[in-house]
Amino acid sequence: MAPTPWRGWGASRMAAQHDLHHEEHAEKHPSPRRYIQIAVVLCVVTLIEFLIFYGNMDSATMTGIILMLSALKFILVVGYYMHLKFDNWRFSAFFFFPFIIMISIMVALMALFSNLTR
Amino acid sequence: MQYIVRSPEAEHATSTGLNNRKLLMWAFLGSDAMFFGPLIATHLIYRTESIQGPIENVFNIPVTTISTFVLLMSSLAMVLALAGIQQGKMGMFRFWTAMTALLGMVFIGFQMFEFTEFAHKYGLTPRTNLFGSTFLTLTGFHGAHVTVGVIWLWSLLFASFRGKVKQENSLDVEIAGLYWHFVDIVWIVIFGVIYLVGAYGVEERVLNGAHALAGLGG
Amino acid sequence: MATNIAILRRPLDPTGAWAWITTVDHKKIGVLYGLSAFAFFILGGVEALVMRLQLAQADLNVVSAATFNQMFTMHGTTMIFMVVMPAGAAFFNFLVPLQIGARDVAFPRLNALSYWLFLFGSILMNFSFFTGSAPDMGWFAYAPLTGSTFSASSSVDYWILGLQVMGVGTLAAGFNFVITIINMRAPGMTLMRMPIFTWMTLIVSFLIIFAFPVITVAITLLLFDRMFGTNFYDITAGADPLLWQHLFWVFGHPEVYILILPSMGIVSDILPTFSRKPLFGYVTIVLAGAVIAFLGFGVWAHHMFTVGMGRWATSAFAVATMAIAVPTGVKVFNWLATMYGGSIQFKTPMLFALGFISLFMLGGLSGVMHAVVPVDLQHQDTYFVVAHFHYVLFGGSIFGLTAATYYWFPKITGRMMSESIGKVHFAIMFVGFNLTFFPMHFLGVLGMPRRIYTYAPDMGWSGTNMAVTIGAFVIAASIAVFLYNMVRSARVGQPAGANPWGAATLEWSMESPPHHYNFAVVPTVRSQHPLWDEEANAVEPPPLPYVDESSIHMPSPSYWPLLLALGVTLVAGSLLVWQAHAIAGLTMGAASGALALISVYRWVFEPPVAAEVAEGAAAHH
Repeated sequence: MAPTPWRGWGASRMAAQHDLHHEEHAEKHPSPRRYIQIAVVLCVVTLIEFLIFYGNMDSATMTGIILMLSALKFILVVGYYMHLKFDNWRFSAFFFFPFIIMISIMVALMALFSNLTR
Repeated sequence: MQYIVRSPEAEHATSTGLNNRKLLMWAFLGSDAMFFGPLIATHLIYRTESIQGPIENVFNIPVTTISTFVLLMSSLAMVLALAGIQQGKMGMFRFWTAMTALLGMVFIGFQMFEFTEFAHKYGLTPRTNLFGSTFLTLTGFHGAHVTVGVIWLWSLLFASFRGKVKQENSLDVEIAGLYWHFVDIVWIVIFGVIYLVGAYGVEERVLNGAHALAGLGG
Repeated sequence: MATNIAILRRPLDPTGAWAWITTVDHKKIGVLYGLSAFAFFILGGVEALVMRLQLAQADLNVVSAATFNQMFTMHGTTMIFMVVMPAGAAFFNFLVPLQIGARDVAFPRLNALSYWLFLFGSILMNFSFFTGSAPDMGWFAYAPLTGSTFSASSSVDYWILGLQVMGVGTLAAGFNFVITIINMRAPGMTLMRMPIFTWMTLIVSFLIIFAFPVITVAITLLLFDRMFGTNFYDITAGADPLLWQHLFWVFGHPEVYILILPSMGIVSDILPTFSRKPLFGYVTIVLAGAVIAFLGFGVWAHHMFTVGMGRWATSAFAVATMAIAVPTGVKVFNWLATMYGGSIQFKTPMLFALGFISLFMLGGLSGVMHAVVPVDLQHQDTYFVVAHFHYVLFGGSIFGLTAATYYWFPKITGRMMSESIGKVHFAIMFVGFNLTFFPMHFLGVLGMPRRIYTYAPDMGWSGTNMAVTIGAFVIAASIAVFLYNMVRSARVGQPAGANPWGAATLEWSMESPPHHYNFAVVPTVRSQHPLWDEEANAVEPPPLPYVDESSIHMPSPSYWPLLLALGVTLVAGSLLVWQAHAIAGLTMGAASGALALISVYRWVFEPPVAAEVAEGAAAHH
């Protein structure tokens, strides 16, 4: 019978699964052109953030807008540059599950240390 | 019916069809998010608690905006490098990998400039006050992540000249890229939340005695 | 080239001790974890006995107050990080690949690295006994008490650095088992066909990779405070004294579930075997485990009800804590329903599993009591709490792990453990356990605080304390019986055969002990209880197809995990040297850092299966 290679990462380097995986998603991969478009958006958003910083609004509004713009940049990088939008759902689950736990813990910690709850 | 079939045809790749190492990298990134979370939370909790020394008024927002731009561009270079190796265009891969690493080094340069300026111009070090401790530790750990990424990218580039990085194992590059983009998104959060929101209206806070004990005349 | 230096040539077919030192085989690593955990179990037990001798009567002077502090600190740290976690890891390692039909874990060398980091980190921390500065601040190391102002000796540094090294190893193991269980299952081994032990391993591994980064941050900040003069926990610089407590317990509560969920998995595998019935409510047991783990991230502040968080925060954490009792109760009822109507065989593993259920339930009940804040305010820092968590961690975790040892010993060694000695062991341990820890409830309610090194004769605690001390020595006697049984059975026990207990899951389908490649042919699984279904339907497994052993390429042994772990540990140690002598510390740091970097480099460019093996086999065909 044919050799039965051990199926660890070294074997998978050569294994067909990796190619399969890419063929499956190849047509869905964004093109370099799309990457450059994303980069332009990222730069424009950063510029807007910069301008808002020198604008004149109350700090709660400013905080809200900056948080939303940061989240937008975050989602663009994760979705396109890290391919999560096109990739297997398990990768998203692996990343976003702890991420959501972390955000919740951070919010809870900040509430616990704020004067509101003491 | 047999409940355990033992036939050689059963050999398969992985249960999910996903690559072990790529899954490992995503698990690591989720875990690394749990590492940066407490560092950011500690900084935010202590934002108004420093009892002496400089706070966010030391930030040089225009310079940091430029270094943020540099890191964003390095992410673009990284995806172009990946696109290069996936299409078997080794020249494209090598050029953009070198660009990514160089932009990463420029970013580190900005950070060294910033830390030096803090120390010399404002006397702000990790020992000065809570702001110094939390801010420099957080951004220092981020800088350490960037440094690891830069070393990784140069290693990939040199390995490609030795014929060890080829189109067939573009996954090696993809995984390094995931790490690099993650370091980028951590910076996106730091730039927005720590720099911009933190420094917004800071002059007023300093004037009004934002320092915890200033109001007590301490 | 370095490969030409004999010592660094890849060990292809090592024998004797080298076969263990360079191994990447999950079964050998599992055995190493188990033996190390047992050694530390004896060490931590001796520390407990020293404490009990000191407390046996009022005003005793067996050890000094300072030594007593070291004893309770190192007892707690040892039992949690060097006994229960690695003992769990021993069974993860040995069993998970067998239970899911894999030939090894996803990253065998990373697995070896995890073990060596655990071992070296533990040794680094215990090395402090030889320098006379063993950690003495409690296993939770509350800052600012542990800042350099109040803990000037290097005891806290040993604790931080030892824990940091172990933590990296634990994280690596967590990643490895997540990927292994998600990705390395045999065909047909769907998630919902996995044995519950593997399920709980998956959940624990997720808890590890999500919770350990938080303690990494907490102790790193403490290390920076102590070594580089930062201000994170320095209240004179405006720091909040509660920051450490919050960060520590954000990690610390998930850690509690890291300690108990493996035993829940073990018991869920043992009960069906000895009740001759499938597990009742498989899906709910899985979901309950996942819900416990998830809620575990939202209850940390119930360790801090007395610090004054305000009534909103206190109430929220009290409610969340009570909520965790629901999935835990679901599990207990499922276990009882599994036994209901079954034909129960009281073999030793079953006895320990039953001991687990009863004692864990008592510990769980006293735990829910503490969710009631006014009760908690009374019990905080008394022996009632000590009684509670020993019912959970000893009555729960250790009884479960002991059950696992009796249950899987035949698979690991190929020999049965003695049933008669096992039953004696169970009887002595069960009596000794309850004699030790049940009276502690009364001591707590009578107001005896934790961590005191002695007490006055007129407090009325003397008689009860004497009973507790006697109980502790009864437990020690039972452990001696356990050790004797293991050593004796490994030499002269009855040969076990493939499936001595008539169990249902995949690991019992192979000879005991298994071949180094586990499965000659990777199986395709078609049932949650494949062996029982074969038996019930009188399916005769067809003879195995002929497999040429040399065609199965297992990962080759490697030096680099060991050397990398050594390098990392020595880097941590160099920080301690650096504090005493800057030049010596920097030299040691540079040398050990270089060792670590070289090991990483060589590891990356070393194929998992040595080229000689792959080529040799190719030529052979």
